[in-house]
Amino acid sequence: MIKFEQVSKTYSGGFTALNQVSFHLEPGEMAFLTGHSGAGKSTLLKLISMMERPTAGRVLINGHDLKRINSRQIPYVRRDIGMIFQDHRLLMDKTVLDNVALPLLIEGYSMQEARKRVQASLEKVGLGDKLRYYPMMLSGGEQQRVGIARAVVNKPPLLLADEPTGNLDPKLSTEIIKLFEDFNRVGVSVLIATHDLGLIARLRYRTLSLKEGRMINDGLQEN
Amino acid sequence: MSLLFRSRSQGAQQVKISGFRRFVMFWVHNAQQAVASLGELARYPLASLMTMAVLGLSLTLPATLYVVVKNTDAIGSDWQEAAEITVFLRKNLSQQEVATFTKRLNLSPDIESVKWIDKNEALAEFGEGSGFGSALDALTENPLPDVLLVTPAADKRSPAAAEVLLRSLKSEREVDEARLDLAWLQRLEALLNLVRDGFLALALLLCIAVVLIVGNTIRLNINSKRDEIMVMKLVGATDAYIQRPFMYTGIWYGIVGGVIAWLATALLIWWIDDAVRAISELYESQFSLTGLNFQEMLVLWLIAVGLGLLGSYIAVRKHVATIEPQ
Repeated sequence: MIKFEQVSKTYSGGFTALNQVSFHLEPGEMAFLTGHSGAGKSTLLKLISMMERPTAGRVLINGHDLKRINSRQIPYVRRDIGMIFQDHRLLMDKTVLDNVALPLLIEGYSMQEARKRVQASLEKVGLGDKLRYYPMMLSGGEQQRVGIARAVVNKPPLLLADEPTGNLDPKLSTEIIKLFEDFNRVGVSVLIATHDLGLIARLRYRTLSLKEGRMINDGLQEN
Repeated sequence: MSLLFRSRSQGAQQVKISGFRRFVMFWVHNAQQAVASLGELARYPLASLMTMAVLGLSLTLPATLYVVVKNTDAIGSDWQEAAEITVFLRKNLSQQEVATFTKRLNLSPDIESVKWIDKNEALAEFGEGSGFGSALDALTENPLPDVLLVTPAADKRSPAAAEVLLRSLKSEREVDEARLDLAWLQRLEALLNLVRDGFLALALLLCIAVVLIVGNTIRLNINSKRDEIMVMKLVGATDAYIQRPFMYTGIWYGIVGGVIAWLATALLIWWIDDAVRAISELYESQFSLTGLNFQEMLVLWLIAVGLGLLGSYIAVRKHVATIEPQ
């Protein structure tokens, strides 16, 4: 699903965020990406979502080299990737319904058509009754789940999450991870960047560890 | 349509989004975005109205100047049409000779009509009108010559053709002197050209100013929505999709600004019309400004909308693309 071949990323200031990173996430696989702040987790996710381009090496999604995607095509690539952020990036002046419907409206759905799928998506994350709420009226965990509903509403084959549990207590974190497991079970590939080692240890998924831009461990987290 | 996952594009077709439907939805979305951006403007009525007023009032000045030029053109051509040659006849001609000469001129194809002002009548009229009646009585003979007012034929009224006719009239045996006052016509023409050129330059400058003002306002709008634009880009919105509401905002500025321009132009013309009428009364003529007609109003409106659209287009082209999600 996602394949990195000797990928390096050096920012214009000369800082090397990623150094010859290679890995392959199989279709339908779920994995964690871990490392300290500044180890390159965010950069790696940005290369997949095409917010950045690699300095060297190749990034492939489903066998397609992202180098061949021009900047006009980037939006279409992002429609295939559900993205979840630590700060959930919801539009605060729009209702939950409008927030979650956004990816569908962009794809050309009418609001009526989108509504049904938004409802289904919100029910999946346990917020089926909060359509008319504004994000400010929800708790942190609920806001994060709205973000997840938005990421999965157009059924992308790939989910990327950047510190999705960063601001949540352990109980809520477990709930969020359970949601990812549900999506993974129906065939969605999931890559979760987190530095919450306790969470990773409990769950025993494949873990990619970055340290100072290098992949230092690819496999099950050692206890 | 999915670029990376071929099987997904079939999945999307299963959710009934055919090409035709996409086309229809494109327009439905456009209409929705147009209404939404109007709603957005209504949320900040004062700020929106100020931009619209700037657009409208900037167009008012060139529109009013246009009306003035249009009206002066109309009078100018009236006067040019009526170009008359004044022919002073030699004093020693008899009534009979003058009548014959008048008839002869009337037969010429270059001349439309000839009006004979009899010297005796002219003297009597002058005596009544000027108040020199008793002084004139003292004169033993009439100092005025017979005068013919010659109106050239329709195709001989241009300054050059009238000049030729004037020369041929001067060479007639009966004619003492003939005059065609071209100088004031040429002066009027030059003045009109000056006003017209000035009007064009001013209109151009003001249009550029309008585009810059609208562009700057839209730029501020874009910056205030930075976060929203980033989120939209993250979930796969194309630049075109993000740009559209801002372009509609520009169009709305133009639509309302155009109406403001109509009203302000009408007001301005009503305001100066009194002054124009006062002047024309001094010249003993009945003249009043004609304002913009329906077609001209439509053109003014289209220009306003075009400028609004152009300003917003420049702003979105420059600024939407530079906002990239972090």
